[in-house]
Amino acid sequence: MPGAESPVPRCAESALHASFGVETALAEVAERLGRVTVQVRAGGRSAGAGVVWLRSGIVITNAHVAAGPRAEVVLPDGRALTAVVAARDPRRDLALLSVTAEDLEPALRVDARGLRAGELVVALGHPLGVAYAAALGMVHRAPTGARGPAGWLHADIRLAPGNSGGPLADVAGRVVGINAMIVGGLGIAVPTHLVEAFVREFEAATRGGARAA
Amino acid sequence: MPASSSGGPLAALSDDLAAAVDTVGRSVVAIHARRRIPASGVVWQPGVIVAAHHTIQRDDDINVTLHDGTTTTATLAGRDPSTDLAVLRLVSGAAAPAAAAADGAPRVGQLVLALGRPGTTVTASLGIVSAVGGEWRTWQGGTIDRFIRLDLDVYDGFSGGPLVDAGGRVVGINTSGLARATALTVPASTVGRVAGQLLERGHVARGWLGLATQPVRLPPPLQRGLGTEADGGLVIVNVEPDSPADRGGVLIGDILLALDDVSVRDPGDVLAALGGDRIGKAITLHVARGGRAERVSVTVGERPRAGR
Repeated sequence: MPGAESPVPRCAESALHASFGVETALAEVAERLGRVTVQVRAGGRSAGAGVVWLRSGIVITNAHVAAGPRAEVVLPDGRALTAVVAARDPRRDLALLSVTAEDLEPALRVDARGLRAGELVVALGHPLGVAYAAALGMVHRAPTGARGPAGWLHADIRLAPGNSGGPLADVAGRVVGINAMIVGGLGIAVPTHLVEAFVREFEAATRGGARAA
Repeated sequence: MPASSSGGPLAALSDDLAAAVDTVGRSVVAIHARRRIPASGVVWQPGVIVAAHHTIQRDDDINVTLHDGTTTTATLAGRDPSTDLAVLRLVSGAAAPAAAAADGAPRVGQLVLALGRPGTTVTASLGIVSAVGGEWRTWQGGTIDRFIRLDLDVYDGFSGGPLVDAGGRVVGINTSGLARATALTVPASTVGRVAGQLLERGHVARGWLGLATQPVRLPPPLQRGLGTEADGGLVIVNVEPDSPADRGGVLIGDILLALDDVSVRDPGDVLAALGGDRIGKAITLHVARGGRAERVSVTVGERPRAGR
């Protein structure tokens, strides 16, 4: 950006004044996330959320949302499917659900370690039972190398039970994390690179198992 | 590489906000002067840091973590509990001062960011200015040039951090120490004024009479007897020994009606009349004593500082 002649304040103002593009763009992000976000029901508890990760029928949610061997996944189009909880990692609070369905649209993703504090983020989920509710917030602190939730992605965003397992995305609609918990009012999300590692581990174990069989 | 060129207005806004955090974040420091998590501070001038008084729980052994992760020591130049501000001098290490926003009221609805550094990394929260008002007085008698209320969630360790506009300029210093259950912003103009006094003198001087008062209603016969329209005043419930009021001859039981012809109805009215510029000057107390109006002249002293 040519900082000398086009100071940041003018950019910020023109972004708001030039058009009504901001809210339209937010709606587009929410819509895009809506196509890859599912409801996850396990046991008698209220629904959590999940993200379609791979076209092959892999859905990611929190380990605390999918506590048993099976869960029900409701797709955005209303189809209810029975999912097998194929892998769980309570330490990363991740669970991998396997469903049999065609035409699944996987989420776009980007590495959350490239985020900067101050970037806008959008969450989609089912807070307190309200299906497909969106929230706008800001990267409070990008992921650090620290172990556990303290090192995950921290967002200044209003979340509630029912957001668990759902996507946190950047303004391009790319998933940067899986919303997992609320600590001191902050939304804490498992950053995408940990999710990708979790999925890779599952795939490696599955391939290994297939060879051994 | 900003996303604004390709990502549309939302991406441009997000990028501007992140750029504002990056720019001002270089001037936001972590201050280690209490147990548990550190608080935040802002480099106000080269080598000078402004922080929230209530987060500086010791006068010595204060460490500061700069934006580049280095930790250095700082000395306390002074503190003003009445505005919840403190000023530190860096012993070593360099950090660029933040740019203050131009004087003038922030607008209701304006996007703002609260930055902090409760550790090694900078943190950011997004909100808007929810209300703006005129000059107000804190419960400890400090004068704040402008009332700025935020619709913004703040988190542990943010006190002493800056409120930043979308252009990366500091609107003021945020603190949870001035109001119960809500965060307020001390505007940059107040911060500059208080910081200047703290650097010069180590404290903010305030006028002092040595009185304790309580509001009281004046019964109509007393009003008529005094020839006053006012239906209330402040009854003097204590006069500190050897204070300016004591030396001037103020008595317990006097009813204070006006200071220099400005009527007083609330103890805050007395504080308002006792700015630092009044020290050493005479002030006239209009009192009702034994049913008659009297005038007492008192030379304003300087408020003794706590713990000294």
